Amino acid sequence: MGLEERLVAAQTNPEPPRGRRKFLAGALAGVATLAAARPAFAQGRSKKADREVMPVDPFAGALGLAIAPPSAWANPTIRLVRRATLGLSDADVTAAKAMGYQGWLQYQLDYQRIDDSAVDNAVATLWPTTTQDVNALFSVAQSTVQTAQQAAWVYRAALSKRQLYERMVEFWSDHFNIEFAKVGYLKVVDDRDVIRKNALGKFSDLVKASSKSGAMMAYLDQNVSRVGAPNQNYARELMELHTLGVNGGYTQDDVAELSRVLTGWTIQGRGTFTFNATLHDWGAKTVMGVTIPAGSPALGADGIKEGEQMIDFLCNHPSTATFISTKLLKWLLTPEPTQSQVNIVAGVFRATGGDLKLVVRAILNQGWMATAPAKFKRPFHYLVSALRGSNAAITNTAGINGQLVNLGQPLYQWETPDGYPDLFEYWSGNLMPRWQFGTTVANLRSGTIVVDTTPYLSGTADAAVDLIARNFFGGEMDAVTRANLLTYLKGGTFNETRVRETLSLAIASELFQWY
Amino acid sequence: MTDMFEHDESCGCREYRELSRREFVGTAAGLSSAMFFPEWLPKVVLAQTYASNRDVIVSIFQRGGVDGLNLVVPYADPAYYTGRSTIAIPRPDASVPANQKVTALDNFFGFAPAMTPLVPAFASGNLLAVHAAGQSYVSRSHFDAQRFMEVGKPADASIVTGWLGRHLALVPPMRTDAPLRALGLSNGLAKTLVGAPQTLPIANPASFTIGGAANTSAARQAVVAADYSDAPAPLNASALAAVNTIALLQAVSFDRYVPMNGAVYPNSSFGRALKSVATLIRADVGIEAAQVDIGGWDTHAAQGGATGALATLSTDFASSLAAFHADVVATNARVTVVIISEFGRNARENGSQGTDHGRATTMFAMGQGIVGGRVLVNGWPGLAKENLESGQDLKVTTDYRDVLAEIVQKRLGNSALDQIFPGWTVNFKGVAL
Repeated sequence: MGLEERLVAAQTNPEPPRGRRKFLAGALAGVATLAAARPAFAQGRSKKADREVMPVDPFAGALGLAIAPPSAWANPTIRLVRRATLGLSDADVTAAKAMGYQGWLQYQLDYQRIDDSAVDNAVATLWPTTTQDVNALFSVAQSTVQTAQQAAWVYRAALSKRQLYERMVEFWSDHFNIEFAKVGYLKVVDDRDVIRKNALGKFSDLVKASSKSGAMMAYLDQNVSRVGAPNQNYARELMELHTLGVNGGYTQDDVAELSRVLTGWTIQGRGTFTFNATLHDWGAKTVMGVTIPAGSPALGADGIKEGEQMIDFLCNHPSTATFISTKLLKWLLTPEPTQSQVNIVAGVFRATGGDLKLVVRAILNQGWMATAPAKFKRPFHYLVSALRGSNAAITNTAGINGQLVNLGQPLYQWETPDGYPDLFEYWSGNLMPRWQFGTTVANLRSGTIVVDTTPYLSGTADAAVDLIARNFFGGEMDAVTRANLLTYLKGGTFNETRVRETLSLAIASELFQWY
Repeated sequence: MTDMFEHDESCGCREYRELSRREFVGTAAGLSSAMFFPEWLPKVVLAQTYASNRDVIVSIFQRGGVDGLNLVVPYADPAYYTGRSTIAIPRPDASVPANQKVTALDNFFGFAPAMTPLVPAFASGNLLAVHAAGQSYVSRSHFDAQRFMEVGKPADASIVTGWLGRHLALVPPMRTDAPLRALGLSNGLAKTLVGAPQTLPIANPASFTIGGAANTSAARQAVVAADYSDAPAPLNASALAAVNTIALLQAVSFDRYVPMNGAVYPNSSFGRALKSVATLIRADVGIEAAQVDIGGWDTHAAQGGATGALATLSTDFASSLAAFHADVVATNARVTVVIISEFGRNARENGSQGTDHGRATTMFAMGQGIVGGRVLVNGWPGLAKENLESGQDLKVTTDYRDVLAEIVQKRLGNSALDQIFPGWTVNFKGVAL
């Protein structure tokens, strides 16, 4: 059967092959508006009709962003593992099943108690720049620093036992995005002392650390802001992206005033934060109704307290609780959180002073997880999940940076401060590089990353596909995906080459794009 | 497609004038026509055609908020110079070398030195600059401003699709059998194109393949295609378009493409992207829209004047567009380019020799169907402080939607402007034929 015939056959199959992936259509209260715009899906029209060009309604959201999970996803604990890791591994699934939903969630939240010393030691040995201070980093070639930083990130994501923590590191790295090209080695320090230090700590500690990060100062031009000539870049993004959100209640005047408050926040030496009182604007300011009376140069270093007071104010503002809770809900649970979910999580955020462990635990509750839609992996997530699923033997990850370029998410290369998008409609068209990558991973036969096919070749073709289901999908693979892989595997000689090609198709499969 | 090359009398490419693609379809079976065709042309030829007089559109977004005042300089407004003591570009009559001062386009505006590669396009009448243009909606957030600009309706969070995506969804394909109607030269699909059928983000069209052993690639592609066939929209459509596009893009030899008129594209990501777009347009494979982004315009600090960071970026921008003009626009009457940015920057420089987020800026349109060769201004608001919005910004006197809507109707043949720019009462400015 030729390609077109296959497609036609698939499209005209009278039985909905997997009986899944209808739009959620009102399963979540907050989807009501969008659901109304796509009644055809809600009524469950034929699969063929679903596959026609997407509906266009310029007056309402025409694309459903909440995609129902695959029917094969039955086990609630494995659903949690998908969300709280960078990809299923047989070891994590086995451990989670043994601990149960709550037990494994708490185990991952208490990440400091998980012994990750093997990974820490390997990273420190392989990439010593990740542990160096600014003075040492200054004298290293920046390309070396960047490659090491990227490689260490992939290594940790793939091999760390602290998977939920790594997911949070990824989240905050986009939330407090910094482009390597603009700040160089300072990104290493920010990743270590701001992001990783506080990824599951208190939100306000993250913002405070970021506000005194040389990398952030340089990235958003705060280092060149001074009295009489304030630069608004950092002040704006501190409110818009880091705390309140764009609709959080501030005005352009507030941006201008906050930029005056922050004058004097700059860097010195090789890029360490400092408050330079001679650059500070001592005049009276008003930010979002908070009045800061005129000060005096005689106050010297105490001038920093104006900014610290305002950062406390922003962290404690109710808009911040709502904005961060919504964004975390989208990251961990659903692209379309309901108002009720936002209210509950923001309530936890406010009540706990932004304790991220408790906020994340509230989001990952079993009831919500059971009805959560599927999320589409971003390229980094996809890449790491392929390494984890294939149980690759990894001694170094530096060689894989180029694959992230092909896939569209090279680390630390998003230029603007909003970070890489976490949007299905942004990434869903870029499939070919993913399919290519499936081929690449499955053919890693030697070198620093090796995918061993011996276990797949020790039994029958059926057993090999069962093992694929177990390793890549937590044992939850639908009949159609299984049939596709098995048909291919059996379509040629059962040998290593055919197995590798079948692995590549498993990684390229639609089922593997979701988590 | 038969009229595609009717205006290219000066293109200097004999093979194009002598053989239309339709003739190629007719002769390829019997005669060896390879001698008439550049070797990068695809060997697959779309048999069906759709009689269309619509332009191919290339949509370019300058991300970051471009300082239009330092691209198309209002040199005759004295307040420009008082507000920009370190970054202003000297008047055309300043006693400095030509490459350090404004090149006058009229008696009020002129190109910054970095923009002068576009002088030929401007002089030919194909390039239009619109000044004091932007969004009526006030947002100084990059992300809100970009989003609503690309959506085509301000402050409506319920719309997911982009203006160009909706246009494409509302009109039939220019070629009924085109596997790919539009593409973004990017890793993710820009909001502008969201909603467009048979549209993919393809960062590098030259390596569009599933990889692996050649003797099993067709079988593996078939498995992938079947696997995605019941995926949720739009993933199913994306997968289908991707599979159907493999053969098409594999057949185009991007690396052997020879631009017309000796055009040379800069080896920058923007230059390479435009070169890929040019290749696809000239290969005539049914692409009717392309989205290309160029970032780096968020010049808060040390942006420079006649030289410096903004000038370097502008040189890349202008040189790439100039090459695209010589290669494609000057030789093909059915291609239109539009260039927008989310906002401009403050009229006055800040203390870091840069500029913070502002309001109006310049936008551009380019094509033989564009009434160009001029800087269009709907009343210059002036840069004196009393004339600035909030005392700091050039006011918007032309909403970008008026320019785009006229192009959509006149050049893209789509009059459903109420669906492409919902809620906007269009007021054409005479930008297109």
